[in-house]
Amino acid sequence: MWYKPILWICLLLLWPLERARWVIAENSSLSVNGSTNINKFSCEIPAYDQIDTLTLLKVDKQIALTGNIGLKVQSFDCHNSMMTRDLRKTLKEKQYPRLYIRFLSLSEFPELTADPKQITGWVNIELAGASKRFEINYQVSTDDQKVIHLLGSRNINFSDFNLIPPRKLGGMIKTNDQLTVAFHLKMKAI
Amino acid sequence: MKKILISGFITGCILFVLSYGSLFLAVRFFPVLFTEYNNPLFNSDDNRDMLFYLHAFIFSFALSWFWDRFKSLFRGRFILRGLEFGLVYALIALLPVMWISFSALDVTIAMVLSWFGYGLMQAIVAGIILAKINP
Repeated sequence: MWYKPILWICLLLLWPLERARWVIAENSSLSVNGSTNINKFSCEIPAYDQIDTLTLLKVDKQIALTGNIGLKVQSFDCHNSMMTRDLRKTLKEKQYPRLYIRFLSLSEFPELTADPKQITGWVNIELAGASKRFEINYQVSTDDQKVIHLLGSRNINFSDFNLIPPRKLGGMIKTNDQLTVAFHLKMKAI
Repeated sequence: MKKILISGFITGCILFVLSYGSLFLAVRFFPVLFTEYNNPLFNSDDNRDMLFYLHAFIFSFALSWFWDRFKSLFRGRFILRGLEFGLVYALIALLPVMWISFSALDVTIAMVLSWFGYGLMQAIVAGIILAKINP
């Protein structure tokens, strides 16, 4: 097994490659939208607190996307302090302070134009100690400042991560299992 | 003792239907009043649901004993006796508990007032039933 990395390097050096590296900017954000039987809620992480890079690599017809983002659960803001604390508790913030989105692949090498392009890709979402792979719908575009905008969204369930949606007053108030996760990554090519 | 238990049980059954029925309808038709309950202060899982739904019976048995002990102090028609009994309970038990709850817990004044009103209504209904079945 020790020779596998060497083989990969040789393969990468010999193969005609298309590659790109993008640095994620601090003003990237993530939102989680959900509902209960009495209201809707929208919780956001308005800014990303780390500098990470995503690497795209086209080998043959495969587009590998590597890199991940780790977001602090404590940074969630539901615009209502009680709801914010409730979400953090549900996501087991004390045990698992960060949620991770690990990027795995893209359906095609994105064309960077002002016109948003729809592509799909696979990610691994790790939340509250459980991890699950999802296909994400992306929209990719660039603006005048050459900032790359990667918008992704996906419906997930609390139960995908072995989490129990909160219920109050003996079940009279129930949070629905489904959540919509949307993120907006603003990146610069390097 | 038997009379206390029987009146407590009957009161408990009636209060169970009225309390949880009205709570269910309030959640359904006035959802905005309940948004503050999405708060970690309130239990989120189902391990205490049984205790929550037993409240009507715990309350009724306690009031049934209290009524039997002090019913001679309440005079007039059964409705008036029940009303006075409910108000006495609210003054000596509910008000201090609500006071300490508001001062110690992260809850809103509207929430505490709604608990007070809910408890007062329960005590008046219990008082009227107890005055009727155990005069």
